[in-house]
Amino acid sequence: MSRRLTLRLGNLLLKNVLFLGLLATICSAQISTDIIEIHRADLQKQATDPASKRERGTNPEDWLFDLADGVTTRQITFYSDGTPCYGRIFFPKGFNTSKKWPAVVVGHGINAQAVGIEKYAARFAERGLVAMAIDYRTYGYSGGDVLLMEPDTTNDSQRVWQRDARVKIKRTNLNNFRETEDFRAAISYIQTEPGVDPNRIGIWGSSNGASVVLMVASRDARVKAVVAQVGAVSGLTASGPVPVPPQMLEDGIKRARTGQGAEVDGGFSFRSKIDMWSNQLNREFRPGAILDRISESTKILWIPAEKDELIPPRGANGPYAGSKAFKGISQVAELPYITHFQMYSFTAFEVGSTLASDWFLKYLGTVE
Amino acid sequence: MRTSKIFVLLITVVLPGVTQTGVSQTRRATVSRRQMDARAEALPDGVSAKEIKFYSEGVACYGKLFLPNGTDAQSKFPAVVLAPAWGETCSSIEKYAAQFANSGLVALAIDYRGWGRSGGFVQTAGPVKTDDRLRFSQMTTIVRIKRKVLDPQKQILDIRNALYYLQGEPGVDRSRIGVWGAGQAGGHVIVVAANDSRIKAAVAQRPIIEGKDTPKKASVPSSALLRAAQRQARSGDATVAGAAAGTQDFETTLALSEYHPFWDLELIPKTTALLFVIVDRDARVKNETNAIAASKLVKGPTDVVSISGTQISSGVTFDNACKAAADWFLKHL
Repeated sequence: MSRRLTLRLGNLLLKNVLFLGLLATICSAQISTDIIEIHRADLQKQATDPASKRERGTNPEDWLFDLADGVTTRQITFYSDGTPCYGRIFFPKGFNTSKKWPAVVVGHGINAQAVGIEKYAARFAERGLVAMAIDYRTYGYSGGDVLLMEPDTTNDSQRVWQRDARVKIKRTNLNNFRETEDFRAAISYIQTEPGVDPNRIGIWGSSNGASVVLMVASRDARVKAVVAQVGAVSGLTASGPVPVPPQMLEDGIKRARTGQGAEVDGGFSFRSKIDMWSNQLNREFRPGAILDRISESTKILWIPAEKDELIPPRGANGPYAGSKAFKGISQVAELPYITHFQMYSFTAFEVGSTLASDWFLKYLGTVE
Repeated sequence: MRTSKIFVLLITVVLPGVTQTGVSQTRRATVSRRQMDARAEALPDGVSAKEIKFYSEGVACYGKLFLPNGTDAQSKFPAVVLAPAWGETCSSIEKYAAQFANSGLVALAIDYRGWGRSGGFVQTAGPVKTDDRLRFSQMTTIVRIKRKVLDPQKQILDIRNALYYLQGEPGVDRSRIGVWGAGQAGGHVIVVAANDSRIKAAVAQRPIIEGKDTPKKASVPSSALLRAAQRQARSGDATVAGAAAGTQDFETTLALSEYHPFWDLELIPKTTALLFVIVDRDARVKNETNAIAASKLVKGPTDVVSISGTQISSGVTFDNACKAAADWFLKHL
């Protein structure tokens, strides 16, 4: 009897030790979210203040930021599949190339521009990270799609031809698959920036950009840390190929036969027009379906907004479901009261950018 | 309306200035017309063919459409797109399309972007000023046109866009659509069947299906490829200095290293029928690790038809390969 009791006690003790050990591992894998509680009242105030209501996009005043003392910036051009793209690098105070700095690529949401999210890059630099904000192809200061307006008379006898030509430049050609490649080209660029440690690269994306950073991570193990802010985990519950509704079929046929289909309002902060087709294309973009391809060495922080009207945090394709499905290390840090477009300003920006910085510093480390 | 008139005017004005490049175009056209005449004679009875232009991401691409006897606006024929193998052009597969048409399928053989008679990939040589508030703007500028790009993802888009073209063709039943590809395009066929809900039947001939033994995980490019990718991100220059036309450059190597159609096999819906056509003594493609291994992962109707021989060229091997594919399409479309 007593022997059995001893055994049971021993067993219990062992289980508890294991449990505590596991708990410690989990705890140490997470960042503190105390800052959310500290600012709870302010977040509530922001959510209810009529002046900080943001219903269908951010306002230009939300994009403004002050550079912290010692932070410097440089505008650069990187190339994605040959297209020149805009990037702006933010360097931390005391940056010098004799050391090795962690670096982060910062990408914008759907139908938006880098100018709206450079404030995050500025904040990351303030916290000691090199950060590069980018415009995707055909957006902001990045190059557009170049379409010939005359017959292409080149042939296979030569690889590259150069000539004068009449062209049409197409902009705001929304395409999440290409944005994924733009991100990866930007990573290639920042990896080779003198003073940057090529082995400590993070990526940050907001809204639709959050889906894009997840897709980048599912394809590219160079990424060590991911922050996905107010984003869905598109495709988490997907099965089978995406249907082509009749209206899209007609548009697909029109595009294949004339080169251009219908346009729709791209909406949100920048209100550019987009191809109706982009919506069909982006439905095929399903990082959630391949979360298990993300490397074990990539750590993901989700920052949802409790009252997100576009992407409910607890939806079937929301960050909680994503974090549950993801087998590696991840964390969800939800901001209470806040809506989708309130995330980018005032207290929500302060809290969101602090949490993101904490995550990057934890998993990329500091300057060495 | 008014702008389009200006374009016509501009093109007319610009055209005399490009006669130099027009020379090679004319010569090419003459050659291809002669070749076409020869092929036209070889067309099966009742089958007609026409050259068409379809657009893939705005680039004008070449296709040759083969129509069975009795095609008219009222007919409802099943239809298939035929995709060339790695580094091949439309002309290499037109003979299959002709035979498919003879069997009662509308068949469209295509050139990928940057190959054969399709347009290339266009970039401006220098920076141009544009603005997001103006979706389209026009200018005359120096452009660089890149050809012979071997990028599986772009080729897959070309196939899918050709399928849209085909669905808009009078006499075609939009709901009965298939795809055929040989070699590397046999892998493309799998990706299209897995990701495009329009596909009901597919045939992969002597397929080369990458990714069987590659773990389904994000990867880091090998150091040489990574350096090349980094160089490209900084300079925009993808071509390797001194590389002869057609040589596989790092872009192709990088694209291939991330191309895993094998991973998509399980995503093909149960309702899509996928046939593999192989030769039993294939010296180039290992059947066991390609078609045979792949067919085991397909949930829907699938089969491996093995033809006696070392390759499929002409005569009986060609006839058997055509018959196997056409029968499959007719049965499942």
